[in-house]
Amino acid sequence: MSNTARGGVRARNVIFRIKRCEGPGKPSRWEAFKVPVEPNANVISCLNWIAANPVTIDGRQTTPVVWDSNCLEEVCGACTMVINGRVRQSCSCLIDEYAPNEGDTITLEPMSKFPVVRDLWVDRQRLFWGLRKVKAWVPIDGTYSLGEGPRETPDHQHDRYVMSTCMSCGCCLDACPQYHKEEDEGKWDRSFVGAAVVNQARLFNEHGTGRVLKPERLDALMGPGGLDACGKAENCVKVCPKNIPLVESIAAVNRAITIHGFKRIFSGK
Amino acid sequence: MSTSQRVIIVGGGLAGLAAAVRIAEAGVPVDLFSMVPVKRSHSVCAQGGINACNEVARQQGYSEYQHFDETIYGGDFLADQGPVLEMCNWAPKIIQLLDRMGVPFNRTAEGRHDLRLFGGSLFKRTHFSGATTGQQLLYALDEQTRRYESEGKISKYEFWEFLAPVTVGEGEERRCVGIVAQDMRTMQIRSFRGDAVVMATGGCGLIFGKSTNSVICTGGAASRCYQAGAWYANGEMIQVHPTAIPGADKCRLMSESARGEGGRVWVPRQKGDKRPPRQIPDSERWYFLEEKYPAYGNLVPRDIATREIFDVCVNEGMGIDGGNMVYLDLTHKDPAYLTEKLGGIMEIYEKFVGVDPRHEPMKIFPAVHYTMGGMWTTFTPGSYQPSQPAGAHKSGDRPPVGTEVGVGMAYGAPNNMMTNIRGLYAFGEVNFAYHGATRLGANALLSCIFDGLYNGVSVVNYIQQEAPSQHPAEKLKADAYEAAAAAEKAKVDRLLATVGKGSADRAFNPYVIAQEMGDEMTAASTVVKTGPRLQQCLSKLAELKERYTRVRLGDAAGWTNQTLSFTRAVGDMLILAEVIARCGLLREESRGSHKRLDFPDRDDTRFLKTSVAEFVPGTGQPRIFWRDVQTNLVKLRARTYGKVEAGEGRKQPEAVASAS
Amino acid sequence: MDNGQGFVQRNYFLLRRLHSLTGVVPIGAFMLIHLTTNSSILWGAINGRAHAATPIGRGVETFQDEVSFINGMPLLLLIEALVLWLPIAFHGILGVVFALGASNNVARYGYQGNKRYMLQRLTGYLGFAFILYHVATLRWGWEWLTPANTAWSHYFATSTLAAALKGDGGQWTVPGIIVSLGYFIGVSALVFHFANGLLTASITWGIAVSQRARQRWGYLCTGIGAVVMLLGWSALAGFVFLVDHDEAHQIERRMVELKYGPEFLKEIEREHLHRPGMEAAAIRRAAEVPYPGPAPVIRE
Repeated sequence: MSNTARGGVRARNVIFRIKRCEGPGKPSRWEAFKVPVEPNANVISCLNWIAANPVTIDGRQTTPVVWDSNCLEEVCGACTMVINGRVRQSCSCLIDEYAPNEGDTITLEPMSKFPVVRDLWVDRQRLFWGLRKVKAWVPIDGTYSLGEGPRETPDHQHDRYVMSTCMSCGCCLDACPQYHKEEDEGKWDRSFVGAAVVNQARLFNEHGTGRVLKPERLDALMGPGGLDACGKAENCVKVCPKNIPLVESIAAVNRAITIHGFKRIFSGK
Repeated sequence: MSTSQRVIIVGGGLAGLAAAVRIAEAGVPVDLFSMVPVKRSHSVCAQGGINACNEVARQQGYSEYQHFDETIYGGDFLADQGPVLEMCNWAPKIIQLLDRMGVPFNRTAEGRHDLRLFGGSLFKRTHFSGATTGQQLLYALDEQTRRYESEGKISKYEFWEFLAPVTVGEGEERRCVGIVAQDMRTMQIRSFRGDAVVMATGGCGLIFGKSTNSVICTGGAASRCYQAGAWYANGEMIQVHPTAIPGADKCRLMSESARGEGGRVWVPRQKGDKRPPRQIPDSERWYFLEEKYPAYGNLVPRDIATREIFDVCVNEGMGIDGGNMVYLDLTHKDPAYLTEKLGGIMEIYEKFVGVDPRHEPMKIFPAVHYTMGGMWTTFTPGSYQPSQPAGAHKSGDRPPVGTEVGVGMAYGAPNNMMTNIRGLYAFGEVNFAYHGATRLGANALLSCIFDGLYNGVSVVNYIQQEAPSQHPAEKLKADAYEAAAAAEKAKVDRLLATVGKGSADRAFNPYVIAQEMGDEMTAASTVVKTGPRLQQCLSKLAELKERYTRVRLGDAAGWTNQTLSFTRAVGDMLILAEVIARCGLLREESRGSHKRLDFPDRDDTRFLKTSVAEFVPGTGQPRIFWRDVQTNLVKLRARTYGKVEAGEGRKQPEAVASAS
Repeated sequence: MDNGQGFVQRNYFLLRRLHSLTGVVPIGAFMLIHLTTNSSILWGAINGRAHAATPIGRGVETFQDEVSFINGMPLLLLIEALVLWLPIAFHGILGVVFALGASNNVARYGYQGNKRYMLQRLTGYLGFAFILYHVATLRWGWEWLTPANTAWSHYFATSTLAAALKGDGGQWTVPGIIVSLGYFIGVSALVFHFANGLLTASITWGIAVSQRARQRWGYLCTGIGAVVMLLGWSALAGFVFLVDHDEAHQIERRMVELKYGPEFLKEIEREHLHRPGMEAAAIRRAAEVPYPGPAPVIRE
């Protein structure tokens, strides 16, 4: 069925320049591949082709390129990489848009703010660590049957839904001039957490039950590495593939921190 | 209770996470293994929603029991009925729990859950969160998991690949006491001890090449359990989703909710009509599903819609431009409404096709989507044991049984969803329970979460009441663990040794073998099947298996070697593919998703049975036997969905929708 | 925050918010007043209480009047130190520390916000350097850094300023062109820094949250920025292009004479004349030019 999509359309070639690295601490190098592309091709289908035909443009046998991916529908966030200098998901990167002509070049690099595991695969554990830092969950009383959750208006649901579509892909962090690569886990706590995590803090502060942990989330975001490290470059909102209003989330959490912070100062805690 | 007992869960999708949360909550530490960070599991791809009877539907005459009846009927009576009854009864509780966890379900003006229409039902009973319901549900469970993780009750092993179960004992006494896994980054292989192992590794769509499934849905984990002696049931039952966008790397799902929200499927009445779709007047469009199924219209179950689309395109040559495509049309709906209710899938179509489906009908075709079959599991029947199975349930009738816990499946029974290997459980899509021969839309999320929550308790009871309580895994001798890990290391060494050796012929390239397997399985074992074609498929698989023995890797790296992981999975997929084709060949009838052109009718006398495949170690072939299905709750009836022959009548889909 | 952490860690929130606050109050507010005062060199033309014959002459009068008023304030040094030097040092030093943590990527992500982010840091550095120069030359007496070794005197506010900007006697010199250009850049940078800081403060404090609210706030800040920029540029244009040094000095002399008496005037002129490298010639020349208009009003 799917295979019927391969119409008799003539394939053209696109050059892929790929930044490769064999592992942490190893030097990186560039390799180019000439890939025949079909209509509807995306970066993933081209990487698949390279995996099956790992020969560089100058005819040298090499190893298949390593990259992270899963859903290929832009809902899991795994296949994020830097394509032609900008961070985005590679599955939704259509070749016809990026390289419309024969011989056009597409450049692939790993994300710049996370340690490279190999080639285009990076380690984004810090992002999930950030979600733990801000306690991004609703503290329910267990999975027993305890009736409905809090009711909410359609507008409120809509706002929360948009925030909740964050797939932890890390685009907002990679494009953020205040977010820095930090390989040492011990230093994560002092280094800016980034928009994605702040947005999740807001999401749960907005929930009827989730707001119980609001003071703890705000405390976590008040110290070094917290929200004050934001530089308001607003790149996050521009590169977010899900159009999450990240700057709005940052401003909203800042408002909460302003109130919370002064309360704390004057309550002497 | 020994606090040193642990449970291993393999897979961090809805089923795995629900189980992890439930088991951790019971005070048992959990080791959670996943090939991807659990937040990126395939469950995120589920779009449409999750079924559960709710108060509005109830007051319109719907009930949990009717949900159960629909599911059994939809699955063409191949599912054991008790667990399905229990699942449908539990559904409303699951919705409430998810609600408490913070899932942003769409709301009505009054702030209650909005519902939408879904396939196989005339009632709105599907709860949803935009068109990314699976993502939202998974995130809710991911968050709860993270909470337990931060409390030290759950340990995550992300980017670890399951390689094999570790078992001790023989025959009836054989039980699973751990697993062997490999770190996909460091390539370290080691065994882990666990008093019970829950497999929650999802389906095997990648066997068919391009499907709607995610990259990790190879079925490799299920295949490895099967090769270790776990039975595999109803492998031939593969769901082909009627509406997907064919792509170069995969087929992207266009949720059934598109039809639930009013989407209409059509082709031009005139063969080869070259006009742009919007210029074709209504009278010259053939809404073939509405015409053939006046009651359900575009919302017939998936296997039926798929076969009709396939028939229109392949047999009648009526596809768009003579090709294999039909229109899925939402352009008669308000664009703002579509964005609100279906934003997620509108965006997918826009991003991957480059056309706005709010203004231009989508071009879609069926694609492999869900694995109804899977690891065989057992259960303890519930308290509802009628003297006579009930007939077809009519809306508004009083259900013959209530919704008390345990009427369908005994709550907490240690063997619920346990495989034939004691202590080895299978939850979610990877097992064969609940969906029979076809899964109804929006029942998958339900079955996965139900398994985790309801049967997580069974796992806890098993380790606390049965063998593990006497002989906890941590006290067992290291032999079995060391041997299992050594076997896997040997397998890896053998594969790595092929690098740069042997023939450089593409025939031994693992990616080429995988592609040929996908093409062959898609052609022979999906929408329509025949005996001769399946025979041919089995010969092809045999050829591929032979070629696989000489497979040659292109990467010898001892660090993050994806080629190794993929190649290993290809071997396991070939073994599972053979089970799927073989069972398809032996099931000489048509039932649900399994359509044999040479045996077009359902044959309850011979095949109202579960096909069970057992791996025969010597030959590597499956031994297939048949087991009875539990059918004592609902009486068998023909599954027609009120199909009328051409010209008998037409009905507008609006009329159908208003029935709810 | 736990104990055992450093002062900065414990007071991080307070420090960051104080940093943001000091940028607006008192620094931003002072800049607003300062530029309003300085631009009186232009708007003084419509000052009904000034008497000079030419419009710029009235500007000189008004400006001198303002400067004299400020310099007549009690405890000036203390006020300056508390309201100005301390906040500026705090804001500047902390700002540089924060800005050092930036990794600009405008080349990759050329969005407007990102450019403003980059400019905010650049103008911070420039502005801080400019303020140091400005204060050092005109306040701390580092005359050797001015084009003609001019010491600014608040008795001769306009003429000595023009000389400090352009050169001896308010005549253009090459270093004068550089210094004037430097003032243009410095003032522009500080005004941008102020307006953009005000803009981002809406996010820092959560004053405007929604996209629309932030947009409106943005318009407001752009407006404020434009007005302040205009003030700064007009002041600079007034001192650099419009002022006639000799005319200005004549007016200033008369104002000193009227306010403090001829003896005092002679005394401070002598003081100036005795300082080496000063614009003695220019002062002498100015003394010979007759005062162009009626006596100016002196604020008491």
